[in-house]
Amino acid sequence: MMQQQQPYTGQIYQPTQTYTPTSAQSFYGSNFEDEPPLLEELGINFDHIWQKTLTVLHPLKVADGSIMNETDLAGPMVFCLAFGATLLLAGKIQFGYVYGISAIGCLGMFCLLNLMSMTGVSFGCIASVLGYCLLPMILLSTFAIVFSLQGMMGIILTAGIIGWCSFSASKIFISALAMEGQQLLVAYPCALLYGVFALISVF
Amino acid sequence: MAAAASGGRGGGTAADWGGFEDNMQGGGSAVIDMENMDDTSGSSFEDMGEMHQRMKEEEEEEEAEGEAGAAEEEDGEFLGMKGLRGQLGRQVADQMWQVGKRQASRAFSLYANIDILRPYFDVEPIQVRARLLESMIPVKMINFPQKIAGELYGPLMLVFTLVAILLHGMKTSDTIIREGTLMGTAIGTCFGYWLGVSSFIYFLAYLCNAQITMVQMLSLLGYGLFGHCITLFVTYNIHFHSLFYIFWLGVGGLSTLRMVAVLVSRTVGHTQRLILCGTLAALHMLFLLYLHFAYHKVVEGILDTLEGPNMPPFQRVARDIPVVSNAVLNTTAKAIALTL
Repeated sequence: MMQQQQPYTGQIYQPTQTYTPTSAQSFYGSNFEDEPPLLEELGINFDHIWQKTLTVLHPLKVADGSIMNETDLAGPMVFCLAFGATLLLAGKIQFGYVYGISAIGCLGMFCLLNLMSMTGVSFGCIASVLGYCLLPMILLSTFAIVFSLQGMMGIILTAGIIGWCSFSASKIFISALAMEGQQLLVAYPCALLYGVFALISVF
Repeated sequence: MAAAASGGRGGGTAADWGGFEDNMQGGGSAVIDMENMDDTSGSSFEDMGEMHQRMKEEEEEEEAEGEAGAAEEEDGEFLGMKGLRGQLGRQVADQMWQVGKRQASRAFSLYANIDILRPYFDVEPIQVRARLLESMIPVKMINFPQKIAGELYGPLMLVFTLVAILLHGMKTSDTIIREGTLMGTAIGTCFGYWLGVSSFIYFLAYLCNAQITMVQMLSLLGYGLFGHCITLFVTYNIHFHSLFYIFWLGVGGLSTLRMVAVLVSRTVGHTQRLILCGTLAALHMLFLLYLHFAYHKVVEGILDTLEGPNMPPFQRVARDIPVVSNAVLNTTAKAIALTL
């Protein structure tokens, strides 16, 4: 039924004001100043990266669950490249293995943690945590440049580094996913994954 | 667009190639306006949504016309007489789109059902440790069915541990796999054994009327690999054949006895018990034997030499002059003699 037509309040009959800069100089000036810094635009927050690195390096430091909310893959990418570079310095060109194992390992951990935790977890978070905890493995492969890891000392050092990596990773996962009491259950698959990385470093 | 579409449809039902000209604008003009052209190829998936809608409208129109007319039209379409105009092609593409959509949604719902495995991963570390230790202790009471924990975390971790131990063993003994990779071989062997033998024993259990489910069988066999892990971990690092045989019989035997006892408690009848447990025992013990001998070639020569694993990575080897055949030598000598 025809109702009382409401008055049109739109602006279709009025031309929109086009932007007329007073001068070319000020046009460039205001846009340039309004832009956010490049790193902020790219999402790389150095302070957070440093915080997460410190959390990994201090095994006994209590992890803050909220730091893993943002998926930051810049740090892990740098660490994987550094790991490959230190292997390269030892004479092993194995970037492909590092990429393949990290991809499959992240996928496996993603499936496992999704099944074990009450809340789900995103793939980016898993990749980020596992990438950050690769940092002690870089120390191992740096050591392997100079000394051979196939003696008794190498075995002890390798076992220690694997334990350090998996302990840090499980600590962060536990705090982020609220899975108290299951740290050992999460640490063991991480230990297997880092064990494969150690296998590349040693042999 | 709608006018041209209806014109196209009308042309389709009337004649074959003549309908094509109906879409030309302005009669003899060489310029074709693509916007008004009815796309008769019908195989572009981007247009499928739109065509699907149009097909629905077409069907509603045809229903309104009457069944006789619709039957005739359907006959014509089925015989493919109108296919040259693209209607058959459109229908085929539309069907493909619908089937693809159905398959994709089915695959997605199947993937989303990974949650059905969730209850099997709900464990505490204490429980896992207790079950690991229990897997080495054979039960005495076989008169009533023994409880099997239907849990998949422990078995999965044990299979991965076995993979890691195999890899370590292959690396320390410099095993070379020609048709594949070390990692692929290790994963294939361990997972193949776990899943394959579990399925086979489950099938035999079905034949022998044993009370066991697939998850329970997977769990039982998975925990049975604990003995294998211990044995291989020790004997890949300490190379004594007699030590291996002691571990094979002792540790492997204990875990096999445990699995056998549980199965016996769940099966009725002597023949059935014999078949089921004999098969499982044989496969389990032979697998350990196979893993030891196939994946860690203890080359006795390495034990004799003094270097062993402390061999320096780079060695200077005297470079030999490549051996050339006598014929080449002779012809070269003759050529040189001729030139002199």
